[in-house]
Amino acid sequence: MSADERDGRQIAERARQALDRSIRGLAAYHLNACVACGLCAETCHIYQAEPEPANHPGVKAGRVIRHYRRYHTFLGKYAPWLVGAQDLTAESLDELVDTVYGRCTACGRCGLHCSIGLDIAAIIRAGRNVCAAVGSVPEGLQRTVDNQLETGNQMAITEEELLSTAEWLAGDLQLEMGDDGVEIPVDRKGARVLYLINPREVKFFPLSLMAAAGVFHAADESWTIPGKFYDVTNYGFYSGDDESAGELTRRVIERAEALGVEEIILSECGHGFRSFRWEGPNWMGREYPVAVRSILELLEEYIESGRIKVDPAKNAERVTLHDPCNLVRWGGISEPQRRVLRKVVTDFVEMTPNRKDNYCCGGGGGMLSMSEYGERRVASGAAKADQIRATGAKIVATPCHNCADQLIELSKKRQLGVEIQAVVELVYNALF
Amino acid sequence: MLIPLKVIVALSLVWAVIALGLQVRAARGGGRLDRSRRAGSPVRGIAYSFTVAMRPRHKESVRRHPFKFAVGVLMHAGVILSLLAVLLLLVWPAAGATVLSLSRPLLVPSLAAGLLLFVRRTLAPDLKAMSVPDDYVAILATCGLLALALLYSIGGASEVALLIYTALFFAYLPLGKLRHAVFFFVARGEYGRRLGYRGVYPPAAAGLG
Repeated sequence: MSADERDGRQIAERARQALDRSIRGLAAYHLNACVACGLCAETCHIYQAEPEPANHPGVKAGRVIRHYRRYHTFLGKYAPWLVGAQDLTAESLDELVDTVYGRCTACGRCGLHCSIGLDIAAIIRAGRNVCAAVGSVPEGLQRTVDNQLETGNQMAITEEELLSTAEWLAGDLQLEMGDDGVEIPVDRKGARVLYLINPREVKFFPLSLMAAAGVFHAADESWTIPGKFYDVTNYGFYSGDDESAGELTRRVIERAEALGVEEIILSECGHGFRSFRWEGPNWMGREYPVAVRSILELLEEYIESGRIKVDPAKNAERVTLHDPCNLVRWGGISEPQRRVLRKVVTDFVEMTPNRKDNYCCGGGGGMLSMSEYGERRVASGAAKADQIRATGAKIVATPCHNCADQLIELSKKRQLGVEIQAVVELVYNALF
Repeated sequence: MLIPLKVIVALSLVWAVIALGLQVRAARGGGRLDRSRRAGSPVRGIAYSFTVAMRPRHKESVRRHPFKFAVGVLMHAGVILSLLAVLLLLVWPAAGATVLSLSRPLLVPSLAAGLLLFVRRTLAPDLKAMSVPDDYVAILATCGLLALALLYSIGGASEVALLIYTALFFAYLPLGKLRHAVFFFVARGEYGRRLGYRGVYPPAAAGLG
């Protein structure tokens, strides 16, 4: 046996072990249930943009299912040709990578509308678990995970950079709000709220952080950003590396315990919310000692309780709302942002479809960090672009920075002429 | 002749139930305790998943393909009725024969639907791409059951033939695609439970407009 063959077999064995681990529980139910009826085709934004068999949700799920059958079903073991079962090999892994990372954002829309009720996204994620276990994660996505593990945030921003950004943003806010007391506290012990942000807010979208700080000040909130582990994103979730995802979660929780906060508030981020709110405790293997909420829930609370006063006339242009898949379809946060927007803008219109049925923008699943799939990603945003255009809105409120990046690109490339804003920015703008 | 055959059908059914039960248990893998804080009701999620979520108005795949969906429902209705009638034949032959006789108006379109689904699978590029031999075997096995039940109801097939076929059908049930007869309920139930736990199901408002 040559060294290459030996390496290939070792990789295949590791992949098989990862498959065994990842299917335990929910995924295995779904791996057994697909009837390949094909009715899910058009529920997928990627298939809609490029209607070829390789983009069909059923075909994509099948790429994972065939390996499951090979090792976990009777016919797969003894008559693999009959059930299309296939060994995990170095070659089949290449195909798997293209399918689970390059042709699916795991948005879950197909599962919602599946005639069976098959969670295809869970199947795709089992495929990602396999790829991650054998080091087959696309380079850009893996680099982002490595950045998070090594520096504490996905963009490798230093603590000094965070502090200086917080300082100048606070200075700008003091001028804008006419109040010298406005601040962006970092690592303040005893604060009530620990606010996690997307590092993009430090680097590219400071207005989001500034707006949140302004709203916190207006609400007289006791809050802080952690100095190091402030990253709300979790690219281990996207890559399928549950161990890294759990480690990233654990660091934040330990920081929250050290600072003695009462609750963790997550800035506007779809997968960050899902990862931290729903998956994190299971990755860590323990319940959180503090509550975790989205800032959207807190904003609603501020407005409803009268802690902040808002004037919708300050946002007079037509606004529509994008529903990030991981926040809404997988996270259950669909109404707070709507109730908030109805209070802070004068002309709010829904997209069709909306809420849990909304289309993925195409930027989910870690797509934005995998440049090799860039063209496919932009093309897959066609359904979302059509939805936005149909609303006639000038502003798309988008509670997710990944989605915001994708929508900004879509707006440019498809001449949508819309501005993308976080919900907190609209709230800040509406403050009395 | 008939009594041993009936015993074989019953044993075949027992095999299917046990094998499928073991598969569900193995798939569960000991289960996973969800350590996240609950935001909704898993029970309400399951209930929603099996009721409102299945209505065509809430299911885009059905809204887009009402004819294909109706064809599938028609075929499944015939299969379920045929199997129930055969099981009735085991314990109450007269009643089983009457049910099959009364079912004739359903069995004809049901068989036609099954054949249509088979033809579609052989012709549609997307379906061909995702199909494996077992997909064709499963639909043909189903059509065979419907055809035999129909023939029996008009006196064109013997009870022996119907019982032998049913025994083989149950024997194959847990091995291939036909096992979705059980995993449909397990998968949909699990899906509803999880979305109910997270407060996604039942939704506050319909999103499809």
